[in-house]
Amino acid sequence: MAPRRKAEAPEPVKAAPVRQSTRKRPAAKTEEHTNEADENDKAAHPSPAKRPRGRPTAAPKLQNGASQKKKSIYDVPSDDDAVGEEGSNKDKVRAEQTHVGDEEEAEEVATTPKRKVKTTTSPVKASATKNIITPSRATRFTGGETPQWRRNDRSARKKSARALIERVVAGDASDEDEQEELAQEIYDSSQDEDEEEEGLEEGAEGKTQEIDESEAAAASPSKRPRGRQKKETAPKQKGRARKKSPTPPRDLPPYELYFAQNRPGAAKTSSNTLASLELLTHEEYFSILHQHKEHHAADIEYLQSWHTESFAQWSFELSEGFSICLYGYGSKRPLLHKFAKFLYDEMPDHESSKIVIINGYVRSTSIREMLGTIASAVDPSHRLPAGNPSVMLDSLKALLSSHDVNITVIINSVDAVPLRRAGTQTILAQLASHPQIQLICSADTPDFSLLWDSGVRSAFNFVFHDCTTFAPFTVEIDVVDDVHELLGRKARRVGGKEGVTYVLRSLPENAKNLFRLLVTEVLLAIEDEGMSGGENPGVEYRILYNKAVEEFICSSEMAFRTLLKEFHDHQMITSRKDVLGTELLSLPFRREELEAILEDLMS
Amino acid sequence: MADTEALAEALGGQEHQAAYIFDPAAEAPVANRPAKRRRVSKKHAAQPEKPKENHARQFQPLLNGLESSECLQLRQDAFLKSWSRVQDRIDSVLRETNQSTLEAVTGFIKECTVERTDSRIPSALIITGANMASQTLLFEQLSDSLQTRAGAKVVLLRSGDASNLKAALRRIIFEVVANPSDAAEEQDLSLGNDGKRYLNYDLEALRSHLAHHPSPHVIVAFQDSEAFETGLLTDLILLFSSWLDRIPFKLLFGVATSVELFQARLLKSTCQLLYGRQFDVEQADTIVEKIFKTAVAHVDAPLRIGPAPLRMVLNRQRDQAAGVPIFVSSLKYVYMCHFYTNPFSVLLADNAPQITLQAEHLEVVRSLSSFRSHVEASLRDKAVSHVQSLLGDDDYLNRQVREQLNSSRSWARRSLRTLYILMCHQGQTSKFTQLYVDLLSQGVDGLNQLSDLVSSMRRMDPAEMMSLLNQIVTIIKDGDGNMGLKGCESESVPSVALLSGIVTDIQTLCREAEDAGRTLRSEYSGQNKIMRTTVIAQKVQLSHDAATLTSQDKSYTRLVDTVIEHVEALLRCERAEDVWLHEAWLYDFKTPYREVFMPRPRSVVQRALLRPHDYLACSCCNSSKDQIMPTLPATAILYHLYLETGSLINVADLWTAFFGIVSEDEAHGLDERTALVMFYRAMSEMRVLGFVKPSRKKVDHIAKLAWL
Repeated sequence: MAPRRKAEAPEPVKAAPVRQSTRKRPAAKTEEHTNEADENDKAAHPSPAKRPRGRPTAAPKLQNGASQKKKSIYDVPSDDDAVGEEGSNKDKVRAEQTHVGDEEEAEEVATTPKRKVKTTTSPVKASATKNIITPSRATRFTGGETPQWRRNDRSARKKSARALIERVVAGDASDEDEQEELAQEIYDSSQDEDEEEEGLEEGAEGKTQEIDESEAAAASPSKRPRGRQKKETAPKQKGRARKKSPTPPRDLPPYELYFAQNRPGAAKTSSNTLASLELLTHEEYFSILHQHKEHHAADIEYLQSWHTESFAQWSFELSEGFSICLYGYGSKRPLLHKFAKFLYDEMPDHESSKIVIINGYVRSTSIREMLGTIASAVDPSHRLPAGNPSVMLDSLKALLSSHDVNITVIINSVDAVPLRRAGTQTILAQLASHPQIQLICSADTPDFSLLWDSGVRSAFNFVFHDCTTFAPFTVEIDVVDDVHELLGRKARRVGGKEGVTYVLRSLPENAKNLFRLLVTEVLLAIEDEGMSGGENPGVEYRILYNKAVEEFICSSEMAFRTLLKEFHDHQMITSRKDVLGTELLSLPFRREELEAILEDLMS
Repeated sequence: MADTEALAEALGGQEHQAAYIFDPAAEAPVANRPAKRRRVSKKHAAQPEKPKENHARQFQPLLNGLESSECLQLRQDAFLKSWSRVQDRIDSVLRETNQSTLEAVTGFIKECTVERTDSRIPSALIITGANMASQTLLFEQLSDSLQTRAGAKVVLLRSGDASNLKAALRRIIFEVVANPSDAAEEQDLSLGNDGKRYLNYDLEALRSHLAHHPSPHVIVAFQDSEAFETGLLTDLILLFSSWLDRIPFKLLFGVATSVELFQARLLKSTCQLLYGRQFDVEQADTIVEKIFKTAVAHVDAPLRIGPAPLRMVLNRQRDQAAGVPIFVSSLKYVYMCHFYTNPFSVLLADNAPQITLQAEHLEVVRSLSSFRSHVEASLRDKAVSHVQSLLGDDDYLNRQVREQLNSSRSWARRSLRTLYILMCHQGQTSKFTQLYVDLLSQGVDGLNQLSDLVSSMRRMDPAEMMSLLNQIVTIIKDGDGNMGLKGCESESVPSVALLSGIVTDIQTLCREAEDAGRTLRSEYSGQNKIMRTTVIAQKVQLSHDAATLTSQDKSYTRLVDTVIEHVEALLRCERAEDVWLHEAWLYDFKTPYREVFMPRPRSVVQRALLRPHDYLACSCCNSSKDQIMPTLPATAILYHLYLETGSLINVADLWTAFFGIVSEDEAHGLDERTALVMFYRAMSEMRVLGFVKPSRKKVDHIAKLAWL
């Protein structure tokens, strides 16, 4: 309600000049004078000047339904007070108008319902719409077939206008653009009608002119189009321009493109979904991939061999204390593997120079493990004390200085998610700046250089080489899971049945029992509900807990949670919340797998 | 093929290991476990080996592989030697630059033990400037010198190390306590020496440790004080000051901005706990200029770096605030490039005069552009026989080449002298580095500094002229030790004698003029004319003015003329490129430098995806426009489609479009499931490349992330 109140508030303000003009009128007794005054007024306020003719509705307003009164409560009190005054003013006006002809009086009464509607419509349009209504015109339509649909239409328009205003006032130009557009459309179409109506009116005007000169002067056809164009065509054009929303020109610079594509309501996509497409499973993906023959294989191979020719140069750069970063599209892992072989063959002696390969794309990669592996390459019998990575690095450095070993560290995908933390990169940079360590890494994303600030980068002392290989990322990406995650279908899990049995083997009996219980419940639920959207139906947390207690699997919720956490860590269960917020537990396996697991557990 | 190979590898299992030691020998069939387990016994046999020997086979034979191994070895040695010489020089510069700061800070720390400034914490505010990279070096040096010279315990804190109070304290205590103890006597940190247990962030632990290992100072250095949270700094300072009576805390702050800003960040009450002094560090660009002088412009620098790479290196310093280490490594890379790729770099070896070039070398010499211009010049001088033997006689050419070995050095000497003389000029505003680069690229004739100098010399009064001449004479006589520019009397004795003669002449003229109660001036000094015209009618005065020149003035004018003539003759320095055989000692290429140090990975990836043909050179995907061909790699097709989408992408539609494209080709057309496999792969790659991310706005939609 609040926004509407605000929206209506302007009305009294607009009404003010009207009243003034009406007051002027009695002062200028003769019609000619009124005309003059009217015209003067029009010059100043083109639209309100015409209102005196429409305004008389205020009197019927009083007589009319309580709904009207309710609305006027929101108006500024002065208006309410003014109604009476206006009424009296009106009487004077009416008294004047009776000179002209009695019919007008009747017309006014007849047209009131319609006009009343008009006055209460959106204040934005109020002036424009009020322009239209001259008593004479009103006769035509009221006398004619102002049918039900027109009124309905008006109320629809009224509502849509209100919706538009509310939106503007609330200031949310958000995602529900469809609604907004609908409202805009209704509003526009009814305006079209208004225009048509107007056309008729203008035709009528010719005749009415003779009858009522003052009226004609107020709404002379010669003047009207001008005012109208200003008022109505402007918003209309805007509306149309918006509707079209042409695709932006093609060669915009990237930043312009960004703004062009991100302006509110710009993105309109169809509502097609992949529902009809059967998504790939891991098995199908790999079996098809095996059969598929890449027709660029030879070219890719050639590209790779071309890169291999710079191996000697790279090893020279490495030995001079530079680190190397390979970037460009395609997996550089095979290339780096070859380079490792190359270095290995070059090495005069495999005791004093070692190669450590780090796979940044492996999700479990941690800086501790990396440092630990490097330390074990320096001295296999040495165990780095676990702790803060920077402390580990210090002890690794100490270890290095006591051994005469050169370590070449090869990092696949230095910009992979597990290594993206700033702390990790700092450690790597310090590692690379150690004279006994050479570092060569590959970067897959185009924005990798943002990982390093100037300090880190100068510690790395990088040279960069464009190594576009076009080789597929076979190991780096878990394609199927990644795509499903991208589509919002979760499919993270431990490696199928074998993985589950492997994990369960190392867990206590209770955990096995709980998992068996969960598998049974989920299978039952699948029987009952079937699969939904590639995901198994869930079992309510509470229910599962109660059952677990019943079966003496655990005695407290604490213990129950601990067991669940173990599963969760191995990604053997999934949990989500449904609409009501109840926690649902489920298993990320297919039905056949679940059955196999259950069989395994029962035996 | 690559696919199956990779898949086979994948079965080995190492790909899914976070880190492992590469060892193809052990990788064989039983490679399930990493090699580290099995190598335990072997390790102890490790014998020390000189790392230098690793360089043995690094250089590749040039000249289409025809380069003799002897030359190859020479080239490699030449590189090692010349760079290590340059490196030494740079190192000494670096050591010297921070020396004064180090001493000042150490002195401050030492003196503060005695003072005990009414229980305020002595703190040194070190204005390091914005360059992070050089900060690290400075603080490491500081830490070393404070430990050795003041017996202090130093803890270096970076903002990344200490995110909260506990972590900071833990680190401080750990560093101090663990500092002296070797790996052998590692002790339980939480266990105090008096048998009590302390929390690892309790400063009491530190106190009890210090009771047994007394130290006059415990210095906490905040390397990048601006990056520390204000609250954390305040807390630490408060805590330190309350422990000050038991632990001798001292603080170092690296301030990148200014002391005022630093102070403004802290509370007043906190500031009052500090007893600070400000220390200024030499800023990075002055250090760079020093290094430039010793390593690049130095007469003994074996390699002249051409204007193009120099400009890039210098611009990078300015634009990217790259810092001193990057500058040094850029220079090093230029050296590496030169010696690695240029067969003539052999001539920069120490024993170059004894080298006999191979026939292939000489063949290449004859095709050099500088050879051509040298021949043309000789022909102009009618030295036909010289040219004939150059072209036909390998031995002669060999000898000639060897004679040219010193051309680098003589050019450097000439250019430096020119530079110095130009720098003498008062109105000289451009920096040394800039001037050097200009001189390198344009020669002295292209510099407008020269004409500036000449015209201002004309207008100089005798005193100015004399000081300038004296400066020039010193430059010629003494040179500049820093630049290796020796005073080279031998070749320029006449000019020294001449110039100093002129100085004495001017002096006598001056004295004479003084005796006559006038000031000495030359015909060119415009001052007089203007003065006169204001006094009396103009026309008369102008002719009158010339007449008023005394005989001393006239002889002074003549002297000025000779000086200018002579200086102009002295300032002769051609472009480095015009020197014959400059290819051996001048490196002037942009290409590897820019790609290697300032890569543009975005455009590289973009190009690969937009026009894969550029890389693959395949027959199928070649199209003049950026059309979508069905044979393109799947990711490239998807990328093309991606460019046409809005910020929200419907995957279903994307798939339809993709399948439409992929299946349309008759020969290679894919069936739906295979196409889907390719689509999956391309989608996942797009995600890894950071182009898309999941979106929750609509079902089966993804959001665009990159606008390239």
